[in-house]
Amino acid sequence: MYLTKDEEHILDGNAGEMLSILMRFLVEIGDSFEAEKLIEIVSAHTVLNIGLSFCRAAADVLHRIADSGLKVKVRTTADPIPDMDYTKELDSVYSIFGLHEQMMEDLAKIGVHGFTCTPYYLDNKPKLGEHCAWSESSAVIYLNSVLGARSNREGGILDVASGILGKTPYYGLHLSENRKGQILYKIGSDIDTNEGINLTSIGLKIGETAGHKIPVIDGLSQISTDDLKNLGSASASTGAVALIHIPGITPEAKILQDAFGDKPEEVIEIEMSDLKEIKEKYSTEWQIPPQNIVIGCPQLSRKETIDVIKKLDNKKIVESLNFWICTNVEVKNYILNSEYKKILDYSGAKITTICPTYIAPPKPTITNSAKSCYYSPATYRSIDQCIQIATEGRHNE
Amino acid sequence: MNNILKGRPLSRGIVEGEAIVTKQPFSITAAFAIPLISNVKKLKVADKTHELYKKVVSDKVLIFPIPIGTTTLGFVLLETIVRKIGPKAIVCAEGEPLMSSGAVAADIFFDMKFPIVDHIEFSELEKIENGALVRVNGNEGTVEIL
Repeated sequence: MYLTKDEEHILDGNAGEMLSILMRFLVEIGDSFEAEKLIEIVSAHTVLNIGLSFCRAAADVLHRIADSGLKVKVRTTADPIPDMDYTKELDSVYSIFGLHEQMMEDLAKIGVHGFTCTPYYLDNKPKLGEHCAWSESSAVIYLNSVLGARSNREGGILDVASGILGKTPYYGLHLSENRKGQILYKIGSDIDTNEGINLTSIGLKIGETAGHKIPVIDGLSQISTDDLKNLGSASASTGAVALIHIPGITPEAKILQDAFGDKPEEVIEIEMSDLKEIKEKYSTEWQIPPQNIVIGCPQLSRKETIDVIKKLDNKKIVESLNFWICTNVEVKNYILNSEYKKILDYSGAKITTICPTYIAPPKPTITNSAKSCYYSPATYRSIDQCIQIATEGRHNE
Repeated sequence: MNNILKGRPLSRGIVEGEAIVTKQPFSITAAFAIPLISNVKKLKVADKTHELYKKVVSDKVLIFPIPIGTTTLGFVLLETIVRKIGPKAIVCAEGEPLMSSGAVAADIFFDMKFPIVDHIEFSELEKIENGALVRVNGNEGTVEIL
């Protein structure tokens, strides 16, 4: 890979040992993926955050970086952290975050702040064509698809190294020629695309069939960017999808023809029968009553949060379970200081900034999140069904 | 078939081990995170949607078409390497940096080698039989059937 004199200077150790190690990391990854050079980035997002007790090696690396005194050069956010407002309700969850305090101290030293899987709802919102180094698969697919900014699916540690150096190897989705659609998905007319669970199920199906290729979806010209976030997070779970084009919605595909360099390699039709199969495949049907109902993986936008709270108006969550609404800290604080707090308090629902995936195990959980159902044994239902179960107490439907 | 398959080196190191081959894309996070939390000594695949579910992959050369899933997989892979409880090497048709970054980090920060080789057609890889002894050379990007 071509390196500037400054970059060589850093690699040779003239700017300190740790910076040299981080540069070597970027160069080795860049070389293996045949990057021609490094390019400057405007922001980074890391998954090196959660302080899970089992991630000892990653925590050790982060600690060594923090000890070296290096700081990030660009805005760098991180995935959600435990929410200390709920230590009682989530005591079984907190015991697995044994490295939380150490990692929080280290991230603060490095200059990483803002903890959410949806950093684009905070101030980390790159613009069309800007280069970034993000991890968190659901955030990367949103960044590439909805914002039209550019990032490969980086890994934990690599993302922090990029944030500190302000650079990333120039290959993959940073190059325009690698951003063209490859598979055309046609959405069957029998699918109600106003129903969120159908959209996330489409996402699961696309991930399964696209693998690492770039899907183009025809038939979702009315989808909101929030719904596209939820669909994309599913595709990034069952597949390695990092970019989806939807004509009329995403910025790099104004019309269907724009989305492809040539013509699709493959055309796949998705029908309601496929979604029925997908819903059954990824749902864990618990025989015992749920203890948690969780909405918001990825974390909800302000609009999505308000929409859920409005659905709870004049309703009460049954006493035997917790109803969690997961969002970022700005939205949580906004809600707690708004007229919506009354609805929350009356209903008994809880608003939290924790990563919803960690609420689930090992207790029986129901969620509207396709991603959560892939990573944990949770029951997969629509938001309306989740609310109905939470307020009426019936779960075997 | 050729005894030596040529691909692309994604992470350094040379190891020999028994092959375990799956046609299904592989999510390292879904497969390994829960066993790591449980502090197991040997890794069994915990992904209930996968055909390798409950199969032991420790000390094996894991061969699959592509890695999938969330981007925590880099440090999940790093953890399996540093704890020496996971596979010895990975071979796939198309890798990605979020996977290889975990292996390169093991080399750079812990001086532990975990070779990864990709860019070998899966139609070639799937001819490797389960249990066959293979040598993965992550310096040269080759896989040799012994």
